[in-house]
Amino acid sequence: MGIISFILIGSSLAFPAVALYALWWAGREGQLRHHDKAALLPFDQEEPLGQMTDVVLNRSSFPKQTLTNKA
Amino acid sequence: MAALSPWDSNLGQSNRAQLAEIDASCRGSVLLFFLSGMLWLLAGTVLALLASYKLHAPGFLGDAAWLTFGRIRTAHLNAVIYGFSAEVAVGVILWLMCRLCRVPLMAQSLINSAAVLWNIGLVIGIVGILAGDTTGVEYLELPKYCTPILFLSFALIAVWTIVIFRFRREKHLYVSQWYILAAVLWFPWLYSTAQLLLVMDPARGAVQAAVNWWYGHNVLGLWFTPVGLASIYYFLPKVIGRPIHSYYLSVLGFWTLALFYNWNGFHHLVGGPFPAWMITISIVASVMMIIPVVATAINHHFTMIGHFGKLKYSPTLRFIVFGAMSYTVSSLQGVLSAVRWFSETAHFTHHTVAHAHWGMYAFFTMTMFGSMYYILPRITQREWPSERLISLHFWCTAVGIILYVAPLSWGGWLQGKAMLDAQIPFLEVVKVTLPYLKLRTVTGVILAVGHVAFFANICWLLVRTFGPYRQPEPMILAGVQPQTAPVGK
Amino acid sequence: MNYGPLLFLGILFTLASSWFGLVVMPNQQLGSLQPNMDTNTGVVFPQPLPGEAAQGRELYRSLGCNYCHTQQVRREGFGSDIARGWGKRGSVARDYIYDRPVFLGSSRTGPDLTNIGERQPSYEWHYSHLYNPQTTSKGSIMPPYAFLFELRRVGPDGPSTNAVKLGGEFAPEPGWEVHPKPEAKQLVEYLRSLRSSVALPEAPLPKLE
Ligand code: HEC
Repeated sequence: MGIISFILIGSSLAFPAVALYALWWAGREGQLRHHDKAALLPFDQEEPLGQMTDVVLNRSSFPKQTLTNKA
Repeated sequence: MAALSPWDSNLGQSNRAQLAEIDASCRGSVLLFFLSGMLWLLAGTVLALLASYKLHAPGFLGDAAWLTFGRIRTAHLNAVIYGFSAEVAVGVILWLMCRLCRVPLMAQSLINSAAVLWNIGLVIGIVGILAGDTTGVEYLELPKYCTPILFLSFALIAVWTIVIFRFRREKHLYVSQWYILAAVLWFPWLYSTAQLLLVMDPARGAVQAAVNWWYGHNVLGLWFTPVGLASIYYFLPKVIGRPIHSYYLSVLGFWTLALFYNWNGFHHLVGGPFPAWMITISIVASVMMIIPVVATAINHHFTMIGHFGKLKYSPTLRFIVFGAMSYTVSSLQGVLSAVRWFSETAHFTHHTVAHAHWGMYAFFTMTMFGSMYYILPRITQREWPSERLISLHFWCTAVGIILYVAPLSWGGWLQGKAMLDAQIPFLEVVKVTLPYLKLRTVTGVILAVGHVAFFANICWLLVRTFGPYRQPEPMILAGVQPQTAPVGK
Repeated sequence: MNYGPLLFLGILFTLASSWFGLVVMPNQQLGSLQPNMDTNTGVVFPQPLPGEAAQGRELYRSLGCNYCHTQQVRREGFGSDIARGWGKRGSVARDYIYDRPVFLGSSRTGPDLTNIGERQPSYEWHYSHLYNPQTTSKGSIMPPYAFLFELRRVGPDGPSTNAVKLGGEFAPEPGWEVHPKPEAKQLVEYLRSLRSSVALPEAPLPKLE
């Protein structure tokens, strides 16, 4: 069991190290701030905020004007 | 608050060309993962039907060792977990990662070979299980001669996900990326520890059971759950066109999940031969899971409020919302099952099986279906050929899985109650479960119809090279006019 | 979000320590348990399985019996395990030190088997039950394992005493008899070896009244 214990304890030291690095990195990159902006990341010019994507079913009854982002 | 993504100006390329390039770059690899995943789903469904039927008609196909319940059930589990779920998850991960990092998928052949390796490893493994080479360790039954192949393949995938991330053009991270990165880092770590301590050089006695459930629970909680949540956090806002209600809550949900989930595993060992501290710690952590679950549920619900009407139009939204709701239900059921008084009755019964399907099917699989409905038309540049098949798929799987899990959860509870009364002979306990087991087979058939409908639609989508697209406006592909003025808010 | 970094620091550390807590700690605490020798009787428990039973254990694994049967008795007062006669005492970690893999099991579609060797020592019963559970337990949903048996012609000296005794609808055609293959024998040896009524310091047997 010597080697196994070594691996186990070794990795339980390595893991926090990686985790700490991730945290430091996230802080430095500003990931922990600007939440309002981050929330907008899925959207862009092509598929902007305020516009539904993926209209596949029942298209005939889909209100036309909401198809454009002027809605 | 600007309406468009605030970082757009950083990007040299026109937005439309960029999206098209990213989607096109994902085509081959993501399709490979999706299609082989779907084939595993079909195989897994057949195995599931056999296993379910055998459980109330034990003599059925009972004459050959490879068809015996213990092997068919195990082959089913591994086909749907490591075949369907994992492969589709990887496809979704790749596409989401490329989209959110705003980079095309690089070195597709590497990813493709990972997919091929994974499938080869898994075929060998499942045949091995049917031939009797299972390791006998739950959730890790694949024999040890195939797991190195799987590990290699997964290492490629994980490394490549990180490479994509490294070369991202969008500097800022969305919460989905947190979940995905965590998942691809957690899984190899879980898998290698478990392989080492359970299969390669088994730890002593009961320690194996500890590692087993540490793995078994975490593979759901730290691999499938994050991928499912990453999808929900992306597609829910994306489809309805509105940002997530509270980004802060989503980040909180992520970190509390990371904090508590991996301590949960030993609630599978309540009443087992272990020191009390081990079990208690997991029960406490399981109860703490209420925090991320409720945070996530509130967040999703408040995002959806006022937009439920959109369910009518979007298959993605239907599946994703179904998945998100099931996540809440199944997680709360999980919390309940961890508590000692509940576990005393429900442990060792079909309640556990039902719970596993709440999580892996009603939450995860439905979420993956939803994601595939969004991704496939975009990477293939084709619209879904048949609305009928989409509806059939949705209603069969939604109704089917509810009829599966709700009654079986209850049946398991009754089974547990009967088992607790030592005066009731065991064969009477068996009788209590029979109606629920039979109902399960029926719902299995309904689910199978849904799967076939989905698969047919995908194949149709792929062969439909010709023919007019439906209408220009509807949104999937050609639809939207290039935007000039952003919407103010 | 000024507390953010602090919060995450705590969380990340806990994440790592959970692994330490659920894998490393159990391994340190339970990973080197040794069998116990009773100072009065000299009985050592648990013992490694003898050859045939060990082969039977492999069959138990390969056929997936562990998906319907547990091998763990919950202590008195938690569940009805002891009242159902599945064991005289609760199971403890030391009971499993020779098991690779451990068959604690997670489902009781069938009864617990921790102590089946004591509860049901009869070869005849086990053969008949494995051949087709309906022979002994009408209405059981345990699958038949008839493929562990073979049909043989009745010899010139009349029916063999080794043949499985099957009556009524389960009996083979006249002139034939059902014999256990070596695998069936091994499996039954394994089942008969499952006995847990030996006291351990941490798990004494209840006093007889
Ligand atoms: C589909 C679930 C299932 C599987 C798989 C299964 N069993 Fe069973 N088993 C049962 C049920 C239900 C009973 C109770 C009714 C009966 O006695 O048949 C039972 C009873 C037993 C009993 C009698 C227990 C007692 O207390 O009388 C033994 C021994 C047994 N099984 C051994 C096995 C072995 C060995 C295997 C694998 C080769 C196996 N079982 C596989 C469901 C299963």
